[in-house]
Amino acid sequence: MKSIEQCKQGMRAIVRFRRRSVFMMAGIAIGVATLSVLNSIGENTRRDTVKRVKNMLGTFDTVMVRPGGKTRGMVSLSNVDPSLKFEDAAAIAREIAGVKQVARLQNAFDIDVSYRDQQISPAVFGVSDNWLALRGDEVEQGSFVSAEDDRRMMRVAVIGSDVRKSLFQQASPIGKTIRIGGVPFEVKGVLASRGAGPAGASLDNIVIIPVSTASRRLFNRDFLTMIIAQVKDPDDSTKVAAAISRLLRERHQLAPGMLDDFNITDPQAVLAQLTNVNSTLTMILRGVAFLGMFGGGVVIMALMTLGVSERRREIGLRQSVGANRGDILFQFLFEAFVVASSGGLFGAAVSWGGVEAVAAYQKLPAVFDQQALLASIALAAIVGVVFGSYPAWKASRVDPVAALRS
Amino acid sequence: MILVENISKIHRRNDGAPVHALRNVSISISAGEFVTIRGASGSGKSSLLNILGCLDRPTGGSYRLAGEDVSSYSDRSLARIRNQKIGFVFQAFQLLPRTTAVENVEIPMVYSGSRVDRRRALQALERVGLGARARHFAAELSGGEQQRVAIARALINDPALVLADEPTGNLDFAASSEIMRIFKELHADGRTIVMVTHDESIAAHARRQILLSDGAVIEDAAICAEERWQ
Ligand SMILES: Nc1ncnc2c1ncn2[C@@H]1O[C@H](COP(=O)(O)OP(=O)(O)OP(=O)(O)O)[C@@H](O)[C@H]1O
Ligand SMILES: [Mg+2]
Repeated sequence: MKSIEQCKQGMRAIVRFRRRSVFMMAGIAIGVATLSVLNSIGENTRRDTVKRVKNMLGTFDTVMVRPGGKTRGMVSLSNVDPSLKFEDAAAIAREIAGVKQVARLQNAFDIDVSYRDQQISPAVFGVSDNWLALRGDEVEQGSFVSAEDDRRMMRVAVIGSDVRKSLFQQASPIGKTIRIGGVPFEVKGVLASRGAGPAGASLDNIVIIPVSTASRRLFNRDFLTMIIAQVKDPDDSTKVAAAISRLLRERHQLAPGMLDDFNITDPQAVLAQLTNVNSTLTMILRGVAFLGMFGGGVVIMALMTLGVSERRREIGLRQSVGANRGDILFQFLFEAFVVASSGGLFGAAVSWGGVEAVAAYQKLPAVFDQQALLASIALAAIVGVVFGSYPAWKASRVDPVAALRS
Repeated sequence: MILVENISKIHRRNDGAPVHALRNVSISISAGEFVTIRGASGSGKSSLLNILGCLDRPTGGSYRLAGEDVSSYSDRSLARIRNQKIGFVFQAFQLLPRTTAVENVEIPMVYSGSRVDRRRALQALERVGLGARARHFAAELSGGEQQRVAIARALINDPALVLADEPTGNLDFAASSEIMRIFKELHADGRTIVMVTHDESIAAHARRQILLSDGAVIEDAAICAEERWQ
């Protein structure tokens, strides 16, 4: 009962000293608003990264195997270790239980592609027919390379939207003959635009042909530049990646201690790395946000300390009519708590607008995480109590005799 | 009711020098007495009253209040005694200025552990003749009215002992008379009253006067002239 009545006293004091209360609330509100806005920038950026990673990895259930040791970035026939064979792809499909299907890729970047007098050098991908499904690509027009095309080494091509624009402008490319490294191919499909990959480069500047055609009729190479294994259960990708690694080491007869002559990308690992909540950006944003909250806390502490010295007589009076030191401490902590949490609430409301504005600026949908919002209000309350505890303690140490003499 | 034996109080000035505010004071006050404490400025009257009111602790000596040895009590227990057994009235009223009269009166109830009873606070204000001023801010009231609010506040938890430190010190003659009339009523109700005053004419209302000088009791006399009381 005493604490309920004391809370009422605290509420009245907040109203009685409303100007000071409003300044304290503003301090905390700014802190919370900073926190929410920066948090949403971080979250927006993280989501954007996830989207780009998905663009690169396709669906999240694919493990990529590339030839060569610690290769970074895209490889092509001209710069790669010939260690990854067609038979390796077949063995992965056959022997690893968690694998649903395997796509093969043989690609090159330095091949001229021309149509009439237009000539460009897009990426040329020789792929198996299941590439489309594994990458999560879509065919916008015509159809994709079929299993039949692959088996019969057909000279057919599917082109990316950038290639279509460069070679055909407005005209329909289906059925037209383009020359890839001088060899004629019939265009049978156009891919839907994919946008940019994680590095920002366009993924649409691409020509796709059957991998067998690429291997036997165009590049004359018997090794792959990438194997993509689709796992049955995306949660298993790390395990499957390890199994593939063991299988390939065995097939390539690598003795223990020897380095891999291939490298495997586990989508889980990539995602974890890119979306790491401890990335530098998030750390910096968080640091600034906490500085904002700290500032709010200091405002509370300063104004409350002033308030306590102005309210010494009130404190002395309360003690003279029966408040003990704990009661005084409680009332001031309560006041700090209420002021800070309503400041937090207010800051959250303000930051709503801020988040929308930032999202509009970043040209991304606004991320307004309710949980983060509640957390920031709770954090405001905690900051209030923590920074209010010094002035509240000061208040509880007021000597009633001295306070009432003044 | 009150039994102080050999209490002394040494204040420390800011420079650390000791100030002997009370020296070996021994007083016994029975329940129902009306006692005034007089003395020159700085003679230790307030120091004594603050100790009697459990707001301060003596440096030495013992203090028994209503049979309890409160010299050794904790902050919590002393606060409880101040809340339940003692009503304080100050020279400077000590009201919260931007708070209404009735809310000022309610403050001791906050710390009593029961619900704040608005009705009881209003009744207390009516008893001091301020029913009509209950919703006024304390700052809007005259000095005499403020002191009556303070008395209502002192009485709200029905204490047996009322301590007043120069309650009329800031008031004119008319207001002082009204305040003294109320104190006499309280005394008539059976409350023990200890009042510090400079004013001999005020002190004459009491049946017993204690005279302090330089921290020591130099006179403690019952006033014989009974008719002066009537
Ligand atoms: N907190 C304190 N610190 C230092 N000295 C103090 C303190 N309180 C009182 N004193 C000193 O103790 C002595 C007694 O003070 P006290 O207030 O009890 O006197 P008083 O009789 O009430 O005087 P007045 O009539 O002016 O109110 C004075 O010399 C005063 O200066
Ligand atoms: Mg005094």
